[in-house]
Amino acid sequence: MPLVKWKNHNIEDVEVSLLLSALKQRYGYDFTGYAQASLKRRLLELTHYFGVEHLSKLLPEILYDEAVAQTVINNISVPTSEFFRDALVWKEVRTTVFPRLNSFPWINIWQVGCGRGEEVYTLVILLHEAGLLKKTRIFSSDINPAFLKEAQNGRWSLRRLDGWRDSYLRSGGSADFDSYFEIKGDEVAIREDLKQSIEFVQHNLVEDEVFKEAQFVVCRNVLIYFGEVLQERVVDLLTRSLERGGYLLLGRSEYIFDAHEKHPELVEINDKLPLYRKVIIKRRRYV
Amino acid sequence: MYKMLVIGLSAGGIPLVKRILRALPQNYPLAIAIVAHLSREHESHLAEMLNELTYLPVSMARDKEVISPGRVYIAPPDYHLLVEQNPHPQSHFSLSVDGLMKSVRPSIDVLFESAAEVFESGLIGVLLSGANTDGVEGMACVKRLGGLSVVLDPQECDFATMPHAVIKHVDVDYIASMDEIVSLLLSVYEPS
Repeated sequence: MPLVKWKNHNIEDVEVSLLLSALKQRYGYDFTGYAQASLKRRLLELTHYFGVEHLSKLLPEILYDEAVAQTVINNISVPTSEFFRDALVWKEVRTTVFPRLNSFPWINIWQVGCGRGEEVYTLVILLHEAGLLKKTRIFSSDINPAFLKEAQNGRWSLRRLDGWRDSYLRSGGSADFDSYFEIKGDEVAIREDLKQSIEFVQHNLVEDEVFKEAQFVVCRNVLIYFGEVLQERVVDLLTRSLERGGYLLLGRSEYIFDAHEKHPELVEINDKLPLYRKVIIKRRRYV
Repeated sequence: MYKMLVIGLSAGGIPLVKRILRALPQNYPLAIAIVAHLSREHESHLAEMLNELTYLPVSMARDKEVISPGRVYIAPPDYHLLVEQNPHPQSHFSLSVDGLMKSVRPSIDVLFESAAEVFESGLIGVLLSGANTDGVEGMACVKRLGGLSVVLDPQECDFATMPHAVIKHVDVDYIASMDEIVSLLLSVYEPS
């Protein structure tokens, strides 16, 4: 069979697939169900980081050097967020979700994808200001133990504080935002007492099961990284972990694909907000 | 045959993209995706605004949305917009909140590169006006993979950094005036 010349981007697709196969077989990290285009971008950025010409040159290192593999894994599941990102969404959470949550005797919140902790501590501040923190347990999960540790640590560069304060104010916050932090050199650290209600849990959306019933699930900008099949599995998992009447919050531009058909128990609250509520489905009776 | 048109614009580009969309007829055979740099936190009304003035339905692109001909999709603010190669008959969009590229999100490069990989010679890339260099790598990729690369003549725009940068780094197919861009985009339209 004659060998045909291929365009580089098609060859890169083969490299991506080899690399994912190596990570899955060697380390048990399965990224094969992820949305391909952004995953490929993040992987190709690694060739610059490691100074190699082709992605496939990293294969031996990934297979034999755990440190390299860890770097690759961290880059694939890279978390980016900030305090009170999408201020108006949080404003809505204060007014729409919290009063309803308050009607539960106790509240479990599952925050999916801990990132560096920005989202989970945002939630803590909101709950604290709404007077709900004392009856709330927050479970912040991630596939990657390195991120869990970092989030638990709760430290960020000081220069990010100004932007976060602005977002906080736009979310309807009226307290002294800076008082939630302690300044340590050129870093800010979240106050220790604000960590008390949080449990950091390693959880893999690709294969793990529901681990807690929750009244509020916060899963922002996680689903967009999954392909259709995996996305459906994960939405199903999140739905099952919700108590009836509980809420699911997604990222600002996220929505659940084919929600009506595939996840009928999730009802969109309104079309302005990526917020769903779990309802009871009345089974149709055929006579 | 061309299947998709991607348009990138930054400072000064809104009136220009309006002009293009106004000129395109109903049943335009290409899918159109637009990245416009708007303020990151500013809720975008761009889709609604553009929807008012064109025959084509305009909406904010959604994650996993199938890319259909004759529709205009806008990258949502603060998300990168990508085209996915997928096993289905039609490709779809995906979104990401990966880091800023050249200090912007959405990035023109990200859309153009991912679209070029999927549509190759079936892609038209158009860069309008802007004060940064986003789009250079994207346009290089469009050109390299056989798509049609078109950049607005820097003399025709107020913010010419972007077109200048593209022309400097990419051997584009057309450096064109607004009128020429419009007639070029109409020339792929053959009413049945």
